[in-house]
Amino acid sequence: MSVRESTAASVRRVAVFAATTARPTTERERERRRIAIMCLPFFALATVAGFVPLAMLVRMSVAADVIWIEGWSLDAWRTLLTEPTYRRVAWNTVWFVGLATVVSVVLGVAVAHVLEKYDLPFERVVVAAVSFPIALPGIIVAILVIAMLGRQGLVTNAIAAVTGTSAIDLASATAITGLFLGYVYSLVPRATMVLRGTYAEVNTQAEEAARSLGASRWETFYRVTLPEIRPGIAAATILTFRSGLAIFGTVLLLQSHYVITLQIQREISVGTYRPDVAAAIGLVYVVFIVAFTFVGLRFVRTDTVTL
Amino acid sequence: MSDDAEPQRRSRSGVGVEPNSRTDGGSVETTVEAWTPSRPALSTRLGRPLVLGIVTLVVLVLSVPVVVTFVSSFAETATGILPRGFVTFEHWRDVLGLGDDQMAVIPGLAFSLAIATGGMILNVVIGVPIAYALTRYEFYARDWLNTLAIVPLVPGVVLGLAFVQTYPNHGRSALGLIAGYCLLKSPYMVLTVQSSFQSMDLVRLEESARSLGASWPRTFLTVVVPHAKRGILAGCIITWTLAAAEFNFTFMVVSGSPDPFAVFLYRNTSNATYMQQAAAVSVYFLLVVSAIAVLQLIGNRGFTTIRDQ
Repeated sequence: MSVRESTAASVRRVAVFAATTARPTTERERERRRIAIMCLPFFALATVAGFVPLAMLVRMSVAADVIWIEGWSLDAWRTLLTEPTYRRVAWNTVWFVGLATVVSVVLGVAVAHVLEKYDLPFERVVVAAVSFPIALPGIIVAILVIAMLGRQGLVTNAIAAVTGTSAIDLASATAITGLFLGYVYSLVPRATMVLRGTYAEVNTQAEEAARSLGASRWETFYRVTLPEIRPGIAAATILTFRSGLAIFGTVLLLQSHYVITLQIQREISVGTYRPDVAAAIGLVYVVFIVAFTFVGLRFVRTDTVTL
Repeated sequence: MSDDAEPQRRSRSGVGVEPNSRTDGGSVETTVEAWTPSRPALSTRLGRPLVLGIVTLVVLVLSVPVVVTFVSSFAETATGILPRGFVTFEHWRDVLGLGDDQMAVIPGLAFSLAIATGGMILNVVIGVPIAYALTRYEFYARDWLNTLAIVPLVPGVVLGLAFVQTYPNHGRSALGLIAGYCLLKSPYMVLTVQSSFQSMDLVRLEESARSLGASWPRTFLTVVVPHAKRGILAGCIITWTLAAAEFNFTFMVVSGSPDPFAVFLYRNTSNATYMQQAAAVSVYFLLVVSAIAVLQLIGNRGFTTIRDQ
């Protein structure tokens, strides 16, 4: 069969498929139409608000005239590849968010473990306190960090009063430690939520058996619980790392570490106006996130992923 | 063989074991000397206090800043370690638009809430059907579609950047914000509604309604959707609250007045006093606390898509 014939055959197949979906005669075709109708609103929005802007981003990154988006040029990509600033921003982002993710997931395991295994007083209050920061945008997290660690901050002034040093020297809100705390503040609740979903499914009988057979608590956790929650840890790591990459408000206000989102904002600020470079960074970012998520999800059962 | 040998060896080497005769001719071994347990492992003695300590610290770090900010919104001054001069409502009056106009947060918040409501309604329209399709049917590329729907693949900053260039006329308008919020927050709606659907026997429900003569659209709208009302409500609350304070996308997109709530907070970080800002942020805290209260009431575990069983 020639290429043209096989192409024609597949076009015909698609046409028949579309026609039977639009005018179904069998129950199977009717079901297919239902699925199509149900998915249509989402696809319409995703196209208008997601896919088309993304295509525009591609066009922007290869435009010669960055104001009117005309002409073709690979200037932005060349800048991105050759200038060491961008490599530094990429490295800054990966190690910083990676470290924040590791810390957040470890703390998330501890919180989820305690909430599931121990009998806590005021458990609902603890749950509310742990889930509360999910609702806080980065900008409010930054305000809270300043309220605690800034020059007028509560923690700063308390330490200053105890040690007798000046509060201005102690203020760490706009140092990298303050930013790190802000990241962990946003990420621990997200990691915890995923892990609580996993912990709810842990087989407690196996743990009890291990304990009664003489395993210590640590051995029980390491050899029984940990293997069971491993998919949850992987899912939490994926979600936390993605959320950490997307943090913008916190770093915009605190300005202490150049990560990718801040760099995108700088590229379109007055003075350094390079929307083509911003678009190229944005594309690298999106491609990285999509690849990372899909590769990561290969190691995880999809039904364990919750936000 | 070794299984049989095991108890014999133990009884022979056991300390102070004496056979008692039983009425049925068998014998019972009783240990005279109490069994002395080996010292408990380090993790058994220290593990729980250590983990509890870490978790207490985490909970404190997560909640103390919020509480302190809320409390200091009622204080007169925050110089020194603790805020002083309680109780004054001056900052709340400023924020609510009754005093200093500069910090009146209400116009921006009202604008944000209106847009969030629009995004929420749009989210019900797009989120409930796809959540149903993904839960009820098996079809080609279902897993991929599932990932696309529940994982926000485009971050707010990048989406905002692209949005303004793609729709120069409408991207910055309320309509553009509604579309953007809807897409960015749709995973929360899809996930909550999906978990609601997963707990129901959808096939049976649908077949009962169909066999009683309801058409398929009617079955979906009057039988299936009402059964998922708690999930839909939870999804609405979460998407609405999150959209009300969305910053990343809004900051890249918005240019006009009134400033949406989060952008307003950002613009006033330098010229507002700390207490005014605390009051402005506290308005949002109150919103989130009421959202969490309603969510716990309808069976969610706090501000999350996970539901209590």
